[in-house]
Amino acid sequence: MNRRKFLALSAVAVMGLAMVPGVQPAHASTPRLEEELKKRLGVSLAQIKEVPDVKLTAPTIAESGANVPVTVESTIPIERVEHLWIFVDKNPVPWIADVKLTPMNGQVFFSTRIKMGETSNVRAILKLKDGSYVMATKEVKVTAGGCG
Amino acid sequence: MAIGAGILRVPKEAKKGEVVRVQMVITHPMSPPRKDPATGQEIPPHTLTKLDLLFNDKLVSTINMGAGVSANPFIAIALKVEDSGVVKIVYEDNKGGKWEKTADIKVT
Repeated sequence: MNRRKFLALSAVAVMGLAMVPGVQPAHASTPRLEEELKKRLGVSLAQIKEVPDVKLTAPTIAESGANVPVTVESTIPIERVEHLWIFVDKNPVPWIADVKLTPMNGQVFFSTRIKMGETSNVRAILKLKDGSYVMATKEVKVTAGGCG
Repeated sequence: MAIGAGILRVPKEAKKGEVVRVQMVITHPMSPPRKDPATGQEIPPHTLTKLDLLFNDKLVSTINMGAGVSANPFIAIALKVEDSGVVKIVYEDNKGGKWEKTADIKVT
């Protein structure tokens, strides 16, 4: 292979990668997630606002789906926050965990390790005292699933 | 370690009004419901379901979880301390197991 041919080929390869519709918008939902949100929160995803005040820390690419570290933090004062949920859109059971928070927590901070079956959005949802919901979303790419 | 054994870690000392991190690791399989690949029989799930965090016997947080949490769960959560006291976690699983663990914290 000469240099010119190689360059042409790699250009094609890069184009191909760019075409893959891998990145989905943050608000794209799955039926399973909607069902779970209705059941546990009583709202649909469209009613939850994505805000920068909620910070969700998770790896962009997870080494193993069996153990993905997730940290939820927020600058919203704890007095205004009631409850916290963690969801993974494409898991067989999207609900991972939920935490009832009280002012005695002092701060919105929760960290754990979760299982992910495949590449999916991870969501941290907070319920505020005024009844509204806010969230942070992050896509985590998983190469080896961890749901059995 | 046996199922249900846990490690609870808090700072030994803290300032009044400080927000500290309470960290814990619990030995538990957290297995989801699944079929035995050899026999096709259903294997029921075995997971922790609930964990209460108490400070001086006052309920601070309740954490509900399912099989989506990794095996041997690690959990970290914030706690604001105003007085010296005892941090206690009480956790249970879906097979009736119930355990608790305490740690002291000195507030200056």
